[in-house]
Amino acid sequence: MVRLITHNILACHVKGCTSNNFPLQLQGVQIELREAEFNPEFLKTFLPKIEWKALVDTAKEARDTSLPLEQPEMLDDEFLKNLHHVLLEIHIEEGTMICPNCKHNYPISNGIPNMLLAEHEVG
Amino acid sequence: MAPPSVTSATISKEPGVYEDEFVHDIYERIAPHFSSTRYKPWPVIASFLSNLPAGRVWTIGLDKSLNLLKIAKNAGGVSREVVRANVLDQPWREGAFDYAISIATIHHLATHERRKQAVKRLLQSVSPNHGRVLIYVWAVEQDDLSKREIPVDELQPGGKDVFVPWVLPDPNADKTQVFNRYYHMFAKGELTQLVSEASEEMGLQVGTKNSDAQTGIELKQDGWERSNYYVELHRWSI
Repeated sequence: MVRLITHNILACHVKGCTSNNFPLQLQGVQIELREAEFNPEFLKTFLPKIEWKALVDTAKEARDTSLPLEQPEMLDDEFLKNLHHVLLEIHIEEGTMICPNCKHNYPISNGIPNMLLAEHEVG
Repeated sequence: MAPPSVTSATISKEPGVYEDEFVHDIYERIAPHFSSTRYKPWPVIASFLSNLPAGRVWTIGLDKSLNLLKIAKNAGGVSREVVRANVLDQPWREGAFDYAISIATIHHLATHERRKQAVKRLLQSVSPNHGRVLIYVWAVEQDDLSKREIPVDELQPGGKDVFVPWVLPDPNADKTQVFNRYYHMFAKGELTQLVSEASEEMGLQVGTKNSDAQTGIELKQDGWERSNYYVELHRWSI
């Protein structure tokens, strides 16, 4: 289960692919929604670590448009609940993540993303 | 019958190919049995983990073995995130993590350069301002309680390359299968030396935070515990 909180740190690492290599785009994904315990303190701790635009764009690819384009200053319950859902309840089980720059495909199978590269692709 | 013993190893192939044969392929095959023998962390690791802010840590496991990852994903009835990748690579945003732990992994890499590369990847994965890294590797000096006898015929300051057997019971027959896993057993001082080299090559000053350098790394603790060497590193920046 790749959740979007994890996806938000994955980046392409093919040799020479060092710019515009994040976020990896979702394609042909199977998604499962699973309820998780709501923990506002956890979310507030994580907010500064998140690449916001990447999260909003990726959520859209996973058919969720509940997040605002800019991080709000006021962290009200409605926002935190939407953030909670996007980060922790959307599980990508199958599909592909594609580098926006070099188009390398990283498959996800049984909820496990495969970031391994062939020897000649390693930087 | 006495258990098979640890024997000297010679890296006879290109290191990546060698590791595939004597590390990765073996762990894929022994994964369930190996996992069933892991039941609790060593004290230094338990202490490191208990000092993290409870309930506010997101954990991601990395391994190359798909079979181990499938187990790790749900081990202990807890659902957690895992990523299949190589410890020599950097599959994430630099500095994205606050903490990184590498337990009993780097000693499976077959050259000094590759082990150094793995240390660099750990240092790159954590925050340059406050990232903390804990590394644990096997020591040449083994615990008296350990069942292993290490051949001491050619002890070198640079550690020792050995095969450590894994005995896999065969449930369908009254016999066992033995897999020889490659290990580089670290000599005293070798892990801290490796970390220093990796840090210097990354432009990180080794020592406590000071105004002579922009960024560096402090050796918070190092030592020997239960047949392993460990080191805890804290990154800092001005």
